[in-house]
Amino acid sequence: MAILGTLLYVIVLALNAITVLSEDRFLARVNLTPETHRRNFGENPDSSIKYRTIQLVSSIRTLARIPLIIVNTLIIFWELIFG
Amino acid sequence: MQRQTYGQSPPLHHPVPQHVSTVPQLRSPPPLTSQPQSQGYDGSPYQQQHQAQGQPGIAGNMFGQYGNFINDPTAQLASQFGQTALRQGQDYLERNVNRLVNVSALKHYFTVTNSYVINKLFLVLFPWRHKPWTRRQASGGGNGFLPPRDDINSPDMYIPVMSVVTYIFLRSLIAGLQGKFQPEIFGNTALTALGVVIIELLGLKAGTYILNISNQSQLLDLIAYSGYKFVGVIVTISISEIVSGGKGTGGWVGWTLFIYTFLANSLFLMRSLKYVLLPENNEASRDPMQSMHPLESRANKSKRTKFLFIYSYIVQLFLMWILTRA
Repeated sequence: MAILGTLLYVIVLALNAITVLSEDRFLARVNLTPETHRRNFGENPDSSIKYRTIQLVSSIRTLARIPLIIVNTLIIFWELIFG
Repeated sequence: MQRQTYGQSPPLHHPVPQHVSTVPQLRSPPPLTSQPQSQGYDGSPYQQQHQAQGQPGIAGNMFGQYGNFINDPTAQLASQFGQTALRQGQDYLERNVNRLVNVSALKHYFTVTNSYVINKLFLVLFPWRHKPWTRRQASGGGNGFLPPRDDINSPDMYIPVMSVVTYIFLRSLIAGLQGKFQPEIFGNTALTALGVVIIELLGLKAGTYILNISNQSQLLDLIAYSGYKFVGVIVTISISEIVSGGKGTGGWVGWTLFIYTFLANSLFLMRSLKYVLLPENNEASRDPMQSMHPLESRANKSKRTKFLFIYSYIVQLFLMWILTRA
């Protein structure tokens, strides 16, 4: 049973790590945003690994922002009350 | 349903012997007006004598195979209630489970034969001599692959499910033999197995998205392939426990068996998933959306091969180590 809690914590912490990064101060500097990513010829973006990872990261950030707020609040309350 | 008339005094009868013959009497149910229907909702002591006359016909008609014991109206009420409850439960299950899980697709994975199971287990543990690894298409044309009973290369869910259950029981048995059994071991082992499968599927899905692999096989195929490693894990744990006298999976025998089953499982996965994860050349080049340069498709193929290799060997090594550590 503790294994499930640990797995949940790992997933939530990993998603937090991806979502918390500042887009304009950090990701733009390293060219990891969809806007600042230079495409070599622009014909076939889907075949580039970097493009796919950038898409994955930006979609995780957009989708997981609000549910992560809720889940983090619940976990904080759990840790405060139950230790 | 007919209401009983309480005003009348029940007719005076000799007590009729409650003897119903065991031969099922297939008579039509008595008409409503003459005798009260034994629907069960109006089962009451007032109807004892009326019921006694209707017993042989009704009991033979509805409960012929049950014999003599459904005689008094309370038992009939209970059986009617049970039948209704069972029917409602089945309807509820059908409605809800069919939405979550594709039951007919699952059935395809459980159509196995004894010879298939034995050959597949041998294949998982010794895959080096097997020649054709392609799955055969169904003769209906375009609607999928052959079921496991006709095709040795088709993944099934019977072996993975049995392996997971055996793994849980084996862990608990060994803990019991060492005198360290607790009931939580069942739950912890089950959750460990579930966590391993989930981690593997997440990694596989992320890898296929990033590398743009459009695989035609479903999620259940991947779950089935990830369940085959439990066969090797069971073999490793059981033989090393027997040989080392119950001191765990460390030592020479344990590590040799672990390396062997890991290599066998990895080769099995690589050969089986090659046709799933690496699309053939003609499929990729005929895709109108992707204008693939030949150099690019070769780079893609090498990337995907590397991904398949990393997945089959390194990821499986990590996961099997998690499952076999004492």
